[in-house]
Amino acid sequence: MSAQGGVQYSKIAEIKGPLVVVDGVESVAFDELVEIQTTDGQRRLGKVLEVGNRKAIVQVFEGTTGLSVSGTSAKFVGKVMEMPVSEQVLGRVFDGLGRAIDGLPEPIADKFIDINGAPMNPEQREYPRDFIQTGVSVIDGMLTLVRGQKLPIFSGSGMSHNILAAQIARQAAVVGTSDEFAVVFAAIGVQYSEAEYFRRSLEESGALKRSVLFLNLADDPAIERIITPRVALTVAEYLAYDLGMHVLVILTDMTNYAEALREISAAREEVPGRKGYPGYLYTDLSTIYERAGRLRDKKGSVTQMPILTMPSDDITHPIPDLTGYITEGQIVLGRDLFRQGVYPPVNILMSLSRIMKDGIGEGRTRGDHQEISNQNYDAYSRAQEVRALAGIVGKAGLTGVDLKYLEVGDGFEKEFLTQGVDENRTIDETLGLQWKVVSLLPKNELTKVKDKFIDQYYQER
Amino acid sequence: MGIDSALEKTVEKILQNTEQQIISNLKDALKSSQQTLANSQSSLEQEYDKILAEGKKEAEKLEKQIIGNADLDSRNKQLLLVEESIEKVFQKAIAKLQTADRNESYSKLISSLIKESIDTIGTSEIIVQTNSKDKSVVQSLLSKFPGATLSADQIDCLGGIRVQSKDGSMKFDNTLDARLDRLNPLIRKDIATKFRG
Repeated sequence: MSAQGGVQYSKIAEIKGPLVVVDGVESVAFDELVEIQTTDGQRRLGKVLEVGNRKAIVQVFEGTTGLSVSGTSAKFVGKVMEMPVSEQVLGRVFDGLGRAIDGLPEPIADKFIDINGAPMNPEQREYPRDFIQTGVSVIDGMLTLVRGQKLPIFSGSGMSHNILAAQIARQAAVVGTSDEFAVVFAAIGVQYSEAEYFRRSLEESGALKRSVLFLNLADDPAIERIITPRVALTVAEYLAYDLGMHVLVILTDMTNYAEALREISAAREEVPGRKGYPGYLYTDLSTIYERAGRLRDKKGSVTQMPILTMPSDDITHPIPDLTGYITEGQIVLGRDLFRQGVYPPVNILMSLSRIMKDGIGEGRTRGDHQEISNQNYDAYSRAQEVRALAGIVGKAGLTGVDLKYLEVGDGFEKEFLTQGVDENRTIDETLGLQWKVVSLLPKNELTKVKDKFIDQYYQER
Repeated sequence: MGIDSALEKTVEKILQNTEQQIISNLKDALKSSQQTLANSQSSLEQEYDKILAEGKKEAEKLEKQIIGNADLDSRNKQLLLVEESIEKVFQKAIAKLQTADRNESYSKLISSLIKESIDTIGTSEIIVQTNSKDKSVVQSLLSKFPGATLSADQIDCLGGIRVQSKDGSMKFDNTLDARLDRLNPLIRKDIATKFRG
């Protein structure tokens, strides 16, 4: 940071959607931060998207509503957008651009960090290991979140993903270690009521102390949404790599982020890709998701849990599709379960945590974790087949074992999957419930678990 | 033996039988309830442990809430106090800048500000604006910068200059206010560090 500042240009050639074209510029850099000054002295922030022929295309984060070609000026600040960071950001609430909105002064910065982050050196990356306990049985038991992992939640419009996100933010913890843990929560394009819910939920549970909230509301300019995940991740990286904390970043809703990207792309008249999203959607999303990880010789970790709503519940839509290519698995919420009133309505048959095996087992969770999880998956999958069969031949046409599987299906959904919004289950409780569900089957049906575990944990009726 | 005594014997026998039956029933009931009690002991213990564990969990949750909120509250009060003190330091500094002597070193500062502005804007054909206090200092320095002219319009600032290209397309704010504004986060950090020792 220097006292010098930048040159202010008053030749605005064009205002097009969220973009302002400034004419006659010199020595302007790509991605440089721009301060747009309106006729009434109001300041808005933007960044340079393109430079050439003494023209600069500036993307205005706070929108161009009310700007006119005459009277508007653009000051090129001479640096990229930075987020002031320090330990003081914990317990604070910011807007989508990283400005304090909790009535307290801006935090006193320890450092100013480029919000685009420095790319992680692949050679310095450490493989994600160790488990983060969310207190939500279906995640901890069957789709375990591992420190440094990126595990998205694919949801649909109107489903309970935000309730789940808030529950995870309140309850998440690293167990069996004294390492510090923090949650960075970025709400992207959410309704006011949802933002209030997130804020209240963290405040009332006492979890705000170890959290940082970024709230970009639905009525905030869409362009701000491009910045929100980046400022959130910048803070997360600082907490992880400078202060040595394990940080869980929850980004909701990434669909709104992609919509904002599409808006800018359309305004720039770029050739549209699938469903009008820009062709570089994959690359752009990866610049966010790839910021999760662990670094060698650094104590902390950044774990990401992006949440996205699939338009029309379509998992082949470009946003979930491209997200799935980058992330390490996915948690899919099912419409049928949601309609039945199951919370959290996780469809485990469509969900997967690819690196779960590296975060569980003896010394991390429990020796039988992987096997009992496989057994539950197998039993529930079989229960679904039996349910389909029962729909055709009726219960009378089922064998005794089939009927047991039907019981397992119900038990799985009612006892293991269903959980209170404030119910924080330990990993032992979760594994106990998994054993309870499969204990509805005769012992000889448990083919995925070793006999020693059956002897130890099988619950006779 | 009369009818009465036979009747008495019968009644007595019936009474004895009934008594034995009642005692036997009572013994059975006692045995059964002792058995039930013994059986339910373990499930009661489990239930007791469960209630105790839930209570402990709830207490830990409440403790976390109370401590978390209290910590945050005290931290926030501290932040407000530090900010209040920083604001006071800034006000004092601004008052000092307003009354600063326009001496030789100040003249050197203005000269460097003009040079910096020309370098940044990329042209020496500039119009310089300043406040009434600095007007004479700036005027005396402009001879060193050919192409620069002093604007008749005065600006409201602590000191320093604001320049614009002669065609009006470029402006550069190099007033003390603007510089203070740009360095505000760094100055705040320095002040806060001094407060904390």
